[in-house]
Amino acid sequence: MDKFIVNIIHRPEMVPEYAEKVTGHGKEEDIGRKELLTESLDIFKTQQSIAHKNGLKTTIQMTYASLFNDEAVALAKEDHEKYGDEIALSLLGLPCEEFREKYKTKDFCIWMFSMEDKKSIVDDVFGKFKDRFGFYPESTGSYYLDADLVNYIKEKYPSVKCAVATCWEEGPKAYHTCNNSWYTFMDGGPWAPWIPSKQNVHAPAANEEEDSGIVAIPHLSRDLIACYDGNGSNFGTHPQNVLRSMCYDSKTWEYPYMYNLIDQFRALAKYNNGYAYNMMFVGPGWMNKMGRWEAPYELLLKSYEDGMAYYGQLKKEGKLDDMTMAEFADYFRANRRLTEPECALWRDILYGSDKQLFWYCDPYMRVCANMDQGGAIVDLRPYAAKLYWPVGIGTKHVTDASYPFLIQEKYRAGYFTHYAGEGTVRSAKLVHNGEEVDLCLCRTKAHFSQEGNTRILTLDPVDIEFYDLTVKLQTKLYFEEGSSNIKIERNILSMSDPNAEVEINEYMVACYGTTEYSEDMTGITLSVTDGNNTEKIDYAYKCREAQMPGATEAVAVVPQIETKVSLSCEKKDAVGYIREGYAFSPMFTLGYTTKLKDKEVFATWLNLAKAN
Amino acid sequence: MAQSGKGKLNYRCPSCFMRDLDIDMFYDKDKKEFHCIRCQYVGTEEDVLEKNELVRFRYKDAMKRFTKFDFD
Repeated sequence: MDKFIVNIIHRPEMVPEYAEKVTGHGKEEDIGRKELLTESLDIFKTQQSIAHKNGLKTTIQMTYASLFNDEAVALAKEDHEKYGDEIALSLLGLPCEEFREKYKTKDFCIWMFSMEDKKSIVDDVFGKFKDRFGFYPESTGSYYLDADLVNYIKEKYPSVKCAVATCWEEGPKAYHTCNNSWYTFMDGGPWAPWIPSKQNVHAPAANEEEDSGIVAIPHLSRDLIACYDGNGSNFGTHPQNVLRSMCYDSKTWEYPYMYNLIDQFRALAKYNNGYAYNMMFVGPGWMNKMGRWEAPYELLLKSYEDGMAYYGQLKKEGKLDDMTMAEFADYFRANRRLTEPECALWRDILYGSDKQLFWYCDPYMRVCANMDQGGAIVDLRPYAAKLYWPVGIGTKHVTDASYPFLIQEKYRAGYFTHYAGEGTVRSAKLVHNGEEVDLCLCRTKAHFSQEGNTRILTLDPVDIEFYDLTVKLQTKLYFEEGSSNIKIERNILSMSDPNAEVEINEYMVACYGTTEYSEDMTGITLSVTDGNNTEKIDYAYKCREAQMPGATEAVAVVPQIETKVSLSCEKKDAVGYIREGYAFSPMFTLGYTTKLKDKEVFATWLNLAKAN
Repeated sequence: MAQSGKGKLNYRCPSCFMRDLDIDMFYDKDKKEFHCIRCQYVGTEEDVLEKNELVRFRYKDAMKRFTKFDFD
């Protein structure tokens, strides 16, 4: 039977991130204002009461500020006793008079502090927690936790087994939405719970040696289409985020989308051996008595009540298990193998496009294939590199915690560019008598299956129409657990002229980066080899290319992200090639061309490895 | 002319919202209008509410309840 688990988390944030700015407009900043503290605690009480009314247990993530408040501490103890809520500790909600006085800063995101300060703050907060409750917490979190921080916490406070550790696709898009003033750059992570590696929190551990010792959960369960293209903070299991997107009826205050979102996450059990997960974590600033943007308080409250009521209803129907974070960590450890992939075949539930994406995540890669583009790979994060990427003041990445991409269609154009250069994508082109068709223009749908340890995505066949020939082609993608590669098969199902031949060009245009802006490609090496001979290009923006008949692989080594990526194939007469980019198109291309006849199948592999 | 402030609700600029920007608007009580400090949008509360309906054009399935999430 399918198991759908929800974690509901509340935090008594005495100075909500948003409330101070919103409610305090026109007044001098005063984070010790009594009204602010009282209102914040009232919101926490309201949230707790709504969850309990619907028969749901919560994880109470105490904030640093709340540890100084006797009432907040007493409430947590009471609800733990009465409802079985877990008392945990958040590294969000640091700002308060005591914190400002001690650390002399207005920074509030734990991953952005220097390592020295991180340790000091963690010790301070965990120590204060122990003073108030008599034990160390089992769960913690923030919007993001970097690997060094997780490793420190786990070493010093081994009781911690679960943490909120990233916010899915919160990156440049969120920054832009907030008028370039919200510095949470953490693209490229898993969308569902995972066991982080010690080297990089985003990249799941492949074995016990890499295991950081915690189970990580994402901050919210976010729409895998809407948040990939649009503002991440609009489309998640956060009722007020749904209001923020305005995808509700402003007259009736109805929001079917919120229930569709929860239900689509439930439906993901089909791709993950019967397991599905949701997380709801609404900070008190989102239930501000002043309202939030155009939504009055009454609507903010109603949406939270409705969200909880839906989870409560599912629980009553036996379709949902509510767990605390620590309970969930135990469940996850007991029921998931380290190398077990997370899969999501996700459909558009908002824009009416019927668009479908397939997301795949394991310790070696995170991948997105787009069925609206013939199954092209439009996002690729090479977790195989387990890139050590320190974050915070004193490192090279003060705020940028994103896991770098090789392919990202939104930040690097994808199939469509503005009439010059190329964008990152892994697709194929068919060529016949001077005509060329890219599979990115073939809209289709996919079906998921599993054979042993291999997840298979089978796409509906597409017709490629040339002037004097129609080719029916089917694409299959194979993800073999632990292999660190993707096999892509093109099957020629039929041709209108059974004696015809078409050329296929399997290609991958890639680069590296974490944002929308290009990085220096100098240092990247491209090579193509047949095992005996090797052609090599050291990237210098010179638009060079090389090819080799019978090539066993076409390779790019990207030292900046310690990644080796290659395409390989077993067809002896296929021609492998490598292509350098130029300043206006700072990309590289790896590919294979070959001729195909009716009923023939051509398979290539995309391989990822750490480049030392 | 006195400085602008916030209205009774804290409206966002509908024009910026359509390009995925959440920008609070400010209210000019003399002219009884909201204005965006990033773009050139200016409008009364009535106009803001009207434009907020317009921005929903992209959500064709917002009011549809789904029961199937695959195409099998």
